[in-house]
Amino acid sequence: MHIQDDKRCSLSELVAHIRNGDCVAIGGGLSWREPIAALRESIRQGVNALKLVGSAHGIDVDLLCGAGCVAVSAQSYVGFEQDFGMAPNYRRACEAGSVTIKDSCCYTLVQQLRAASQGLPFMPMRSVQGSDFMKLHPEFKTMLCPFTGDKLVLVPALQPDVAILHVQYADPHGNLHIDGPPVADILFAKASAKVIATVEKIISHEELVQFGVTIPYFYVTAIAEVPYGAHPTACYPFYAYDREHTARYYQAAKQGANSFADQYLKPFVYECWDHVDYLAAIGGAEQLSRLAQWQNSTEDWLKLYE
Amino acid sequence: MNNPASITHCTLGELMIYQIARSIEDGILAFHGFGSPLVQLALHLAKHSHAPRLILVAGATYGVNPKPAFLTPTTNDFAMNRAAECQLSIEELFDLAASGHLGRMFLSGLQIDCWGNMNVTGLGQYDRFSLKLPGGGGGCNLSADASHITIWTAAHRTPLDGQGRRRYRLVKQCDFTTSVGHRTTDGMPRSTMPYRGKGPDCIVTDLGVFGFNADGHAELQQVYPDTFAELVAEHTEFDVPVSANLVTATLPDTEIVEFIRRLDPLKIHERELSQADRRRYFALNGSH
Repeated sequence: MHIQDDKRCSLSELVAHIRNGDCVAIGGGLSWREPIAALRESIRQGVNALKLVGSAHGIDVDLLCGAGCVAVSAQSYVGFEQDFGMAPNYRRACEAGSVTIKDSCCYTLVQQLRAASQGLPFMPMRSVQGSDFMKLHPEFKTMLCPFTGDKLVLVPALQPDVAILHVQYADPHGNLHIDGPPVADILFAKASAKVIATVEKIISHEELVQFGVTIPYFYVTAIAEVPYGAHPTACYPFYAYDREHTARYYQAAKQGANSFADQYLKPFVYECWDHVDYLAAIGGAEQLSRLAQWQNSTEDWLKLYE
Repeated sequence: MNNPASITHCTLGELMIYQIARSIEDGILAFHGFGSPLVQLALHLAKHSHAPRLILVAGATYGVNPKPAFLTPTTNDFAMNRAAECQLSIEELFDLAASGHLGRMFLSGLQIDCWGNMNVTGLGQYDRFSLKLPGGGGGCNLSADASHITIWTAAHRTPLDGQGRRRYRLVKQCDFTTSVGHRTTDGMPRSTMPYRGKGPDCIVTDLGVFGFNADGHAELQQVYPDTFAELVAEHTEFDVPVSANLVTATLPDTEIVEFIRRLDPLKIHERELSQADRRRYFALNGSH
């Protein structure tokens, strides 16, 4: 239980909770509410040998793979969907063998997190047997159900060392409010040993309860106020997905490891002293206000994706 | 262009969306995943036309019965979830499936075999893939749990490479089984597994539409106005049984085409199609 009165800290202090070799659950999903500022800071701090677990992910996992921070990947999906297709850094790392592939499946992950949050050693399920996920996961067992005789698959409890989230609002005590789909963030928070969160805006407790508490404070280890902390993924209602920047990322990554290091990691991670530098590097206030235009009209929203 | 009266043709993408939509029953709970614009459009089309009581759960956001502003390039976007009637969570949707309440799910694969097993995990050996694919999301779980599965692919047609070989999409055997069909790769029938779902019942491709016969083997049932059984067989690695009642697929009407074009002004769904397939058009109602 995390009971400090005030959980606020700087981004670098927040990320210092991640240790080399940790099992890390990254919040959000696909192009939505990924804690990318925290991931950029962890790359700058040299965190490595991470084991990543999660459901459907994209630029977050690809970025960490491109920076050489990942030892094991256990997501259900890592890619850029129909927008750009396969994740180049992730693919290279998996195919080179520098990242061990432990692909999972959404409900398998849910059941494993539930087991951890309920203090149980495993959860049963009907699916997965008959698929080749049994080969990737020799730790999965089967048993005959003592009640029905059905053959069930048992998946072990999964307790990530740290969950990294990005949310819209928090109070200083660490109560979190997530607007829109929480994806697996609540499950991650309940199952993980530590929860660290970047927050668009830290507000008073009285203001936060007006929005509602999505994740209670005692699950949360530390929070840092990092406006635009999910960029280039979306954090509605503040900003939409930055497709233009993601295209730039993708083109750099697609050309190879060296071009990704030169054209992306250098200008947007290593040569940015902090998040303020990063926001300037991506185009500053002009670019950021463009991403807020979605609220004006459907036409303005469409323009972001043309 | 978007006035139904002025629409004279449908595209291949629109025909595929219509065919996927036809597999969706009214009154069921159905879910689309992410990275699948053809399916997203098909679900909204079904609800708009023949399946008004469909419980439509949007992939990635888990919103129920949303009215998207427009189809977005990525799936977890507020524009896709606009005006959702209520909201599920990831665990609630998968619990509904596990307890037998998900009527239909839509899955695809870079490899699809004759039993409907699919691979979206990787090519080559599982302990050292030569090509790592993005992965299957919840497909493995849902292929066992959902009552019925619609399979689709827009890349059935496979060009010859320099050595005159094809890297088939419809294959004899998948390198890795990400989601399960009617028979495991070691020959065990689906009925030996305690799955709730009955497995795939159709494959909608860029060349035609398959059903599955009593053995659980894919069987060609429909071709398109510009395709024929021999062409389908040429682009399929496994032997293709052809239905005695092989027909040419019904084309969508102009209202349906107009609905699709209105919902997808950015033509996001065309990203699933090859460049050549984006130029395939079919005349509607005898117009030319």
